[in-house]
Amino acid sequence: MDAAQSRHLPGFLERFAERAARMLSARWCAVMVFRGRETDSYQTSSGKEPPDAAEHTSLVRYARELAKEIEVRQLADSGAATEPKKSKVAVFVPITASDAESLGAICLVCEKKPLGEQEQRLLRALASHAALSLENFRRFSQLERSKRQWVEDIDAISDYIVVHDRSWRVVRTNRSLASHLGVPPVALVGEAMSSLRQIAESGSDLPCPFCRDTQQAREEYVVASPERIFLVSTSRTPGVSDDDTRTIHVLKDITDRREAERRYRELFDSIQEGLFFATPDGRFLDVNDAMVRMLGYDARDELLRADVGPHLYPAAAARERFLLALAERGVLRNYEETLRRKDGTLLHTLQNITAVRDSRGNIAQIRGLMLDVTEQKTFQSQLQRERDFNQKILNTTQSMILVLDTAGLISYANRRCFEAGYREDELIGHRLVEWVETSHRSDFEDALETTAHGQQVENLELRVRRSDASMGHFSISLSPMRDEQNTVNSVVVVMTDITDAALLQAKLAHSEKMATIGRLVSGVAHEVNNPLAAILGFTDLLLENPQVPENAREDLQIILRETQRTKDIVQDLLSFARQRPVQRELVQVNSVLRQTIKLRSYDFASHGVEVVEEFDEKLSPAFGDSQQLQQVFLNILNNAYDAVQESGQRGRIAIRTRLRGESIEVAVTDNGTGITDPERIFDPFYTTKQAGKGTGLGLSICYGIVRAHGGEILCWNNSEQRGSTFVVRVPVANEATVAAAMAKEAGR
Amino acid sequence: MNAQPHTGLVPILLIEDEPSVTAFLRAALERHGYAVANAASGAEGLNMLRGGKYSGVISDIRMPGAVNGAEVHAWIQKNRPELCARIILISGDTANSETQAFLAQSGTPCIEKPFRVQQLMTVVEKTFGKP
Repeated sequence: MDAAQSRHLPGFLERFAERAARMLSARWCAVMVFRGRETDSYQTSSGKEPPDAAEHTSLVRYARELAKEIEVRQLADSGAATEPKKSKVAVFVPITASDAESLGAICLVCEKKPLGEQEQRLLRALASHAALSLENFRRFSQLERSKRQWVEDIDAISDYIVVHDRSWRVVRTNRSLASHLGVPPVALVGEAMSSLRQIAESGSDLPCPFCRDTQQAREEYVVASPERIFLVSTSRTPGVSDDDTRTIHVLKDITDRREAERRYRELFDSIQEGLFFATPDGRFLDVNDAMVRMLGYDARDELLRADVGPHLYPAAAARERFLLALAERGVLRNYEETLRRKDGTLLHTLQNITAVRDSRGNIAQIRGLMLDVTEQKTFQSQLQRERDFNQKILNTTQSMILVLDTAGLISYANRRCFEAGYREDELIGHRLVEWVETSHRSDFEDALETTAHGQQVENLELRVRRSDASMGHFSISLSPMRDEQNTVNSVVVVMTDITDAALLQAKLAHSEKMATIGRLVSGVAHEVNNPLAAILGFTDLLLENPQVPENAREDLQIILRETQRTKDIVQDLLSFARQRPVQRELVQVNSVLRQTIKLRSYDFASHGVEVVEEFDEKLSPAFGDSQQLQQVFLNILNNAYDAVQESGQRGRIAIRTRLRGESIEVAVTDNGTGITDPERIFDPFYTTKQAGKGTGLGLSICYGIVRAHGGEILCWNNSEQRGSTFVVRVPVANEATVAAAMAKEAGR
Repeated sequence: MNAQPHTGLVPILLIEDEPSVTAFLRAALERHGYAVANAASGAEGLNMLRGGKYSGVISDIRMPGAVNGAEVHAWIQKNRPELCARIILISGDTANSETQAFLAQSGTPCIEKPFRVQQLMTVVEKTFGKP
């Protein structure tokens, strides 16, 4: 029994004790009520000789220990001697609830005497009555408490609650609703429901703003005021009379939730990424507008009707792979998938997917966000294609392409560089200028400097060391490469080995020059021959004339001799200019050389000139004019002889033959004085010999003959020893050249 | 027309544009007993051939003007068959490939300038016979 109840209970129990004491003629009576470990004692106030505190404590202890239905305990006599000694006993009866719970005990203190049957029955009746009373008290208090609790609970609910009867009068409201209106809850009781219109209205004609259909036992709908939105849940408990028919409205303020929902929807629909909820078997539950747009559908509904597997996936395997990955991992981040739009075109997507699983762990729903990366993908593949294309160009170009930093260090070299024999470790990180011939380095440095300042340098022709250490003639272009800030951060160098081209160009220029000179010489010779013919002829006629005196005859002989010399010069000129067709036959070059050497062997021997023959005895035959070739070799040998004679040292002439590709190469090396100007030596009239010793046409004629053979003639000063080397190359006779030459002859 | 027919002899027609060469040839031929008529160009030579009678023709190959030695040769082949084997060509320019081709094809004797009197007379006597 709690404190709240004790306000009414004590008076009742004290009166009960008084009555019990009277009925049983007891000196003192108490109703002891057990409250947990505590024991409350309600006793007679007017009794004779009430027990003192110690005695009371004993009595309580006895009551607690009570085991039998009625127990009698002997009490010690009081110490007072004023009264005659009488024996006192305490009689205890337990108060037991209907469920056998021990509620307390009735304790009577009286004179010692046996308890009669009548008294015992009375005691039991009293105990029973006390038990009933105590139980009732307890029930009431519980009821009271729960009723009060219920009101408190209702009041604690933030939702508005209002109960009205059939006559549309407020029966009850909770505190939230009343405080919303600024009045205490009781103030609303009995008011008409229409007074609550200010909260919100359902829009019906009924007197209650929250009722819609009074026939329904339960209703749920949303009503709105200008400020708030409420979810109204209504329950109706029909009764027999108006009084016990109740309509209960619970108004839940869902304004914030609605707002959140609205915002969510707005976000859902306005977001540029595709959002979707789908079932694992391939149905969309919801999709946003972006998703609809992305997949090329006209409306959301249309996409919601679509079957994801067959409609969106170009290949069924891809869908399966996706579901498998999702089942395994639960979450897919940046999952790349190619989907099909409604019109069949492909859509490249990047997806972030979460699987929502049910209690058994199966995937119940798929939620995802989808990005359209088609453009990026296209751009990327375009970029990739472009990159591949550029790479291909870089790899297949016949030019060497290098990238240098502004300090001139090589940071990149294309494949061609390595094909040309350079090693990566001797290029990358090294200065390109190191490969340039020393005398050209400053030119290269200047060009690099110019390029670093943003100017392009084109077709710089420099000599550059090749990977095999030989020097090549290179055409070099340098272009500045800029970063985002437009600052030159590197230099692209394109290098092309134009050695062959340069040689070819030189040869072309030379043969053109020769042709021009040929035409000139031919014209001059013709013009000179006419007066020469007259001079020679008339001189002859004079010499034939017997009238011419002897001394004049001697003069005429001089004229004749000088005219003859002039004739020889013109003949040389003409044979240079004369493109006499080559009389082609198979020629053993070695034997032609031996015959030629024999022609001069006397001079060589008598002047101590050593001739060394290094012949390749397995040399294939050439196809040409042996007489013309002999003329060429003789000319070269004569020049070599003159050169070694001039040097004043012991002369040595080495003649080597060998096969070089499709050509027979004859190299004549002497240790003479060398050539003053190798560039001009084949020019007509170029001579370094004393006047009268040569016309300067010998090598020009040789040049013409060798070219007419389809070969070439070259010369240079020796690099390791003094003297010079002449090289004659003529094509080897093979079926093709023979046939071609024959055909040419036949067509002549 | 510088034709100066030698008494009783049919002249040799000399076609040559160079006066000094013409003078020498005339002197040499006349001294060896031949009669000589001369023309200073190919065209003039053809005119004379049309209007006169000659025992043979000596012609330079390369001459200025419309008609050169090769064309004179061709005209004779066509119009004076009796003179076909009585032509001597002289040339200062055998280096020319056209000239070479023409000589090789025609088989006509050719003397290259400059030449000695003896060379000339050998060829003349061989081709035209002694005067």
